[in-house]
Amino acid sequence: MKKYLALVKLLFIQQFKMTFNKKRASDAQSAKEGKRRAGAAAVIVLLALCLAPLLVSLAVAMYYMGKLSGGNVYLGTFLTLLCQGLVLMFGVHSIMSNVFVVRDADRLLYLPVKYHVIFLAKLTVAYLNELLTSAVSLAVVLIPFGIGANVGVGFYLMLPIALLLIPMLPMLVGTLISMPLSALVAAFGKNSAIKTILRIVIYVLIMALYMYLMYGFGFLTGSENGNILDNPEVYINDILVAMTNKLQNVMPYFHPNYMLMSSMLAAGFLNWLVGFIAALGENIALLGLVMLVSLPFYRKMLTMSVEEGGAAPKHSANRYKVKNKGIVREFILTDIKRTLRDAQVGFQSFAGIIMMPLIVVILYFFTGLSDSGDTSFLELMSIEPLYQVIAPLVILAYMTFLGCSTNVLGIYPISRENRALYVLKSLPVSFNKILLAKVLLATAVMVTSDFVSCVLIVALFGIEWYYGLAMLITMALIGFGSMCITTVLDLKQPRIGWDNFNQGLKNARNSWIAMLIALLCVFSVVLISAPFAVLYGVTNGWYFVLCMWLADLVLGVVFAVVSYKIMSSKATKYFVRIEV
Amino acid sequence: MIRLYNVSKTYSKSRTKAVDDLTLEIKSGEIFGFLGPNGAGKSTTIKMLTGILAPDSGTIEIDGVNITDNPVAAKSLLGFVPDNHEIYDTLRGVEYLNFIGTMYGMSTEQLKQKIDLYADMFDMTEALPNMIGSYSHGMKQKLSVIAAVIHDPKVWVLDEPLTGLDPQSAYRLKQLMRTQADMGNTVFFSSHVIDVVEKVCDRIAIINHGKLVAVDTLDNIRADSSVSLESLFLTVTSDGEHK
Repeated sequence: MKKYLALVKLLFIQQFKMTFNKKRASDAQSAKEGKRRAGAAAVIVLLALCLAPLLVSLAVAMYYMGKLSGGNVYLGTFLTLLCQGLVLMFGVHSIMSNVFVVRDADRLLYLPVKYHVIFLAKLTVAYLNELLTSAVSLAVVLIPFGIGANVGVGFYLMLPIALLLIPMLPMLVGTLISMPLSALVAAFGKNSAIKTILRIVIYVLIMALYMYLMYGFGFLTGSENGNILDNPEVYINDILVAMTNKLQNVMPYFHPNYMLMSSMLAAGFLNWLVGFIAALGENIALLGLVMLVSLPFYRKMLTMSVEEGGAAPKHSANRYKVKNKGIVREFILTDIKRTLRDAQVGFQSFAGIIMMPLIVVILYFFTGLSDSGDTSFLELMSIEPLYQVIAPLVILAYMTFLGCSTNVLGIYPISRENRALYVLKSLPVSFNKILLAKVLLATAVMVTSDFVSCVLIVALFGIEWYYGLAMLITMALIGFGSMCITTVLDLKQPRIGWDNFNQGLKNARNSWIAMLIALLCVFSVVLISAPFAVLYGVTNGWYFVLCMWLADLVLGVVFAVVSYKIMSSKATKYFVRIEV
Repeated sequence: MIRLYNVSKTYSKSRTKAVDDLTLEIKSGEIFGFLGPNGAGKSTTIKMLTGILAPDSGTIEIDGVNITDNPVAAKSLLGFVPDNHEIYDTLRGVEYLNFIGTMYGMSTEQLKQKIDLYADMFDMTEALPNMIGSYSHGMKQKLSVIAAVIHDPKVWVLDEPLTGLDPQSAYRLKQLMRTQADMGNTVFFSSHVIDVVEKVCDRIAIINHGKLVAVDTLDNIRADSSVSLESLFLTVTSDGEHK
């Protein structure tokens, strides 16, 4: 037990080691560090304020779900599954990279610790990471649902238990999914680029499967009594009733969740106790089962990871080609190769290319399809005169936020270099050129994703092609500007010395700042566009739409130029300052 | 040639000076050995010399070019072999050399010629098409050496270059260092292996606690037959002596 706890502590603290390491410093440096922490806190508060409307809207929706359903146990179970779906989506890759993609085998194998202790410790650390997602999902989904349903004290007493149990099923499912996937990925030998692409495709498939299941459970069920615009209350109530009917046949199969929700919504003590014990027992039994199945697999992956080095050359000598392609081009091509061949960094960097178009398709499924031949929500909206003005703006805002806040190529251009940063610092190339190459790569990846998304939006959502083009150009400009700013920020305070990119990323300040910058960009676009949209709504004059897009494009150009200038002016100063 | 004038450096997370008022001059055509115990400031000096770290004060010149004022020009005169092996693991050896050669403005022809030459010299031809991540410690070291020398630098800086090398490669590297010096280039290298320093270097410096404690030619050291380089090193780096 002592060894297990020591390992958990070591692995968990490793994630935050760069933060902890900054403690020993002079008074002046301590003051500087204090300011830095205050800045980070301010960013989080600001970000929370910006995200609050979205989270509050979701919480309000859950509140009404609880109120209208009267705390239906099947609906509640479905909501726990919804929470677990979120944990699963954010957690599967974490499990794959933290547990099964073994990078620290040489440091763990010589320890006098059994395999299962190492495995359990790694699983525990992954579990602890997912608790945060669990807490957020509880706060915006289950608690408002309970308040709306006007439940008893038992519900609130069970919340800490729910917090602990909700990540269990996703962790276990994630572990079970990760095993064949890791084996499949490992089967591709040493071709790291194909491995990364395969990982991204698998992740997308899992997401698509999750959405399909949600669809199958009746989340998109239509109403037979009119549409949402005519009578929203009846429409929503109909959907809830239809959903509940479908869910009661399916939810009992998710027995641990069903028992957890039965306990949370139980009227009497006995029912509460039975549900509690059953939920706890079933989760523990599942954990034991998964340990039994996955331990031999982990052992194999651990052994394989140390046998990888020293392989015989695959290529015959003199088959290599060399060519001077120019500095910026060489930088970009080298960066692409390095990123794509790195399992963790590659996934984080290129998943966005597929993710954003996929979300567009999912959005279409949610709004453009109807169950019983009724008019879909999208069809209803698209006949509104303002649709061609508002819809591209909303999608632009959404995609800008997603693109700018998740593009790790631009958020961590320097931190990605890790301990090899000295190579860049020793090269006889101006730092501005190095950074330009990095920003161009990040923007190119983002624009590729934007382009596919815009084509899909034009094709699926009936948006005019010229609005699609305007969206694409605006997104590219804002994306470039945003990448310049995040590059400067990473340059100012890079995180060097990480062992696990995912863990370094999850706790890094730059992710939050990138999200905040993306939100500020979105707000700016909305603020500039809103007056023109209103004027168009009042006068129906097409020139207001033209002016709106021109204003957005000017905003994009100004933001891109100013950001690039900021990056250029600060680059050398910050780059020189980095101590490696 | 290399000139360091009153160079000092304190890391931002530390209160003590890693390098304290260091002044050195290394001539062209010279192999200069830089000795010191662990944590003496050798790597910090080398990092400042190669433009990786900025000095807090003082100036560093590479062949007359100030590295702080004109880093790109100064670095283009340098070849650097680091003491760590954190090179781009997800690149193939040849891709890394292509990358480095491009950064130093080499033409495709020059690149091909030099890679062939040095890959053959260090027995790396078979390994170059493979991923660096699959290389052994010694192979990575050899790749670093090739990357540092392909562009014919005027100043060659090597930080613990013999660590991990097999005897054959170590011998070739020492030969290459001598060839470079004979061509009129400067070779600056740090090492813990006193025997090697004694055999290879024309002049040596010993650093301790960030301060230069001895600089001399090996001939002068050898002139006094009662003092070996090892005993000199142990004497000048002992704490008692330092105080």
